Amino acid sequence: MYDVVDFLLNTQLGLNSPDWVVMLISHLVVVGMLFAVAPLQVLFLTYYERRAIARMQDRVGPNRVGYEGLLQPVADGVKMFTKEDIVPDSADKIVHLLAPIVAAAPVLYMFAVLPWGPNMIAVDLPTGLLFFFAISSISTVGLLMAGWASNNKFALLGAMRAVAQVVSYEIPALLSLLFAVMFAGSMSLMAIVEAQGGLFISTTDVPSVPDLGLGWFVFTPVGFLAFVCFFIAALAEGERTPFDIPEADSEIVAGYMTEYSGMKFAMFYLAQYILNFLLCAITATIFFGGWQGPGVAWLVSQSLSADNPAGNPVYNVLAGMLGTFYLLAKTYMFFFVMVALRGAFPRLRIDQLMNFGWKFLIPLTMINILSAALWIAITRWGTAQGFGIIEFAGEPGNLVRWVIAFAVTLVINVAAYWFLARLNVQDHAARQAALTAGGLAVSPPRSA
Amino acid sequence: MSNDTLTHSVTFTEAPAALTVVVDPTPQIARGSAVIVERRRPKAAGWSLLQGLGVVVDHWRKSFRKLDDPTQIAGTFTTEYPEERLPLPEAYRNMPILLFDDATGHELCTSCFQCQRICPPQVIHMTQAKDPETGKPVPAVSEFIIEYDACMSCGFCAEVCPFDAIKMDHDFELSTANHPSLTVHKAGLLRPVSYYQSIAPTFWAEAEASAYKKLEANKKRRPASIGIAPQMIEQVKAAHELRDDQQEADSPPAPVAIAPALDAGRAATPATASAAPAASDGDLPTDKAARLAAIRARNEAKKAAEQAAPAQAQPAAEGAATALTTPDAPLTDALPAASERTAPPAPATPDAPLDEKAARLAAIRARNAAKKAAQAEEE
Repeated sequence: MYDVVDFLLNTQLGLNSPDWVVMLISHLVVVGMLFAVAPLQVLFLTYYERRAIARMQDRVGPNRVGYEGLLQPVADGVKMFTKEDIVPDSADKIVHLLAPIVAAAPVLYMFAVLPWGPNMIAVDLPTGLLFFFAISSISTVGLLMAGWASNNKFALLGAMRAVAQVVSYEIPALLSLLFAVMFAGSMSLMAIVEAQGGLFISTTDVPSVPDLGLGWFVFTPVGFLAFVCFFIAALAEGERTPFDIPEADSEIVAGYMTEYSGMKFAMFYLAQYILNFLLCAITATIFFGGWQGPGVAWLVSQSLSADNPAGNPVYNVLAGMLGTFYLLAKTYMFFFVMVALRGAFPRLRIDQLMNFGWKFLIPLTMINILSAALWIAITRWGTAQGFGIIEFAGEPGNLVRWVIAFAVTLVINVAAYWFLARLNVQDHAARQAALTAGGLAVSPPRSA
Repeated sequence: MSNDTLTHSVTFTEAPAALTVVVDPTPQIARGSAVIVERRRPKAAGWSLLQGLGVVVDHWRKSFRKLDDPTQIAGTFTTEYPEERLPLPEAYRNMPILLFDDATGHELCTSCFQCQRICPPQVIHMTQAKDPETGKPVPAVSEFIIEYDACMSCGFCAEVCPFDAIKMDHDFELSTANHPSLTVHKAGLLRPVSYYQSIAPTFWAEAEASAYKKLEANKKRRPASIGIAPQMIEQVKAAHELRDDQQEADSPPAPVAIAPALDAGRAATPATASAAPAASDGDLPTDKAARLAAIRARNEAKKAAEQAAPAQAQPAAEGAATALTTPDAPLTDALPAASERTAPPAPATPDAPLDEKAARLAAIRARNAAKKAAQAEEE
């Protein structure tokens, strides 16, 4: 964006503006775009979710306002704006006002490091991944503020549940993402996406494969297991069914949002849907190649850049459009999975959630880090690094290393999954048996 | 056809022998034997979660197809209500309505109070009509109110009505911001019989014969325009006025001469000849009404005659009556039939409603004439 603004202001209009003006304008444009994109995504996602879940329940869904109900979210927004803002008498007024802001602002920051297409990123932070998850934790503070300030027992219960859940599930989420940092050798999200070129085999592992933008990490056993774990953890972070415990409407009204109405309620809603969008987008970015896809690499090679001054700027635009299309298609696909999960599964209990997170997901992701380390060792290390088990020179050597790494990590991960699942099933059976045998029986013992 | 049934019966008789062993260890429970269905065990932990997800996604995929066959378990079956509507069953009942005869405008209700009595929430109220001259009650209703806001749509009123005058409507879109409008008066309750026939054809076919028979009997006891639906009064009045004009122009004062005058009038004056078919364009083809009016006229004449028994009034009235009953028929043919009170199948004339009115007019004139005669006799 700096280049574009510089070109327009200095070259085209001849204004000779100083560097800082160009910098400021380009950043303001980017920020404006992101601030416009985020609420529009929320509008679309609410409509998308309602239509999709209606179809899953053999209904039609909202189809009255506008063509096929496309203006329904706008109507909902107007309704939200015109609602009365009610603040409880005994609420902590200032904190009650601040809570939705604290909850919604961090998720907008997360947009800053999301790569939309080749060279399309607001800020390519070297620690993008860390920033993304660090800033997402701040909105938890907003949830707790909301629950506390409302002076309502349901709100406080919901806030406590939200904090407990988000804090526990950040651990498996981040542990499962560590593999991507190891694979790409960077925390920059752009670098992670660029490491996923190729064709089912990443070009960073085997440089000779054709770059069709399909070397997604999910095609490796390590990446697949990490994807499953991360997506489950993301559901918990985004408070989606089956982990919508903080706002369990059948138990605690609406959780921390109970005492909110009008635009403040809409802010929480906005924050939640932006978070869900971003979690889907980050899943697509880290596991499914983000903007990578067939054709993008070719368009980039044709486009105008510092390396390729003869390129056509039309290809820059086309590459960006295709990349954004791939990213959004993948994101909406994951959001569809989220909606399908909501349609299929009931809500977990808080103890089930904790058991699953601490006894299953965290050990599994830890073993996955071991697999990831083995993957790196087998595919990239040689005797120089003290791992000269397989030393092949030249091109077939890389492929053979890749196959060996695939087989080893597959065996480790499948065994780990099978072992942990069995342990958890046995543990569950034992607890059930203890409940029925002991005096703590919740249901009368069933006779054979 | 016979071949089909034969093969079918053969398979049926052979089938039980083949199906004797269904489940090997058939468990016996109190209500018979239970069938144990073997389900596939989940292959791995988490597999059943994917299966559940598969069901949901399958429903999503199939929901783009319309569910038209009720045996399907997936597919959209939504009827987009304001645009699409499911056909209502005939027996659907929402709010009660009153019926009136399309042809004559006569209400079927006789104010028997059965519905008012049976109504559980007591929302039906009615006033019986009275003859304005004698003050005696007439089998007709002068005001009928149903409070739709409190009606519970039980349909008892329609079931109990001996005259098939009150029926349950199919219109369910009654929501309104105007609450008092839900207290519906007679004019708002009345619907033509043809409307009820259109929403419940078989039910009306069952009730039609007895309903009309009773209506015919009741019409005789309703003087003037009593018992005619308010929305039909204008129509009937218009027909009346047309007939009055015609009569004033054509008929001589003597009631005896009405019949020839009518014939002559219709044939001679081009004005009335052109006006008459126009008036008859409405679907009121019954000469029945005319016949009835004639009978009434004769009865009135008789009544008047009984007071003084004038010899000359009787034939006059009868002449008028028969002339109106069959305007086109020769006087000699119609006379004996009319006197027996069973009207002959008169040819349907295009200006039947006019005849009815004319008959009534003639009846009044006949009565007046008879009275005058009686007075003259007394003097």
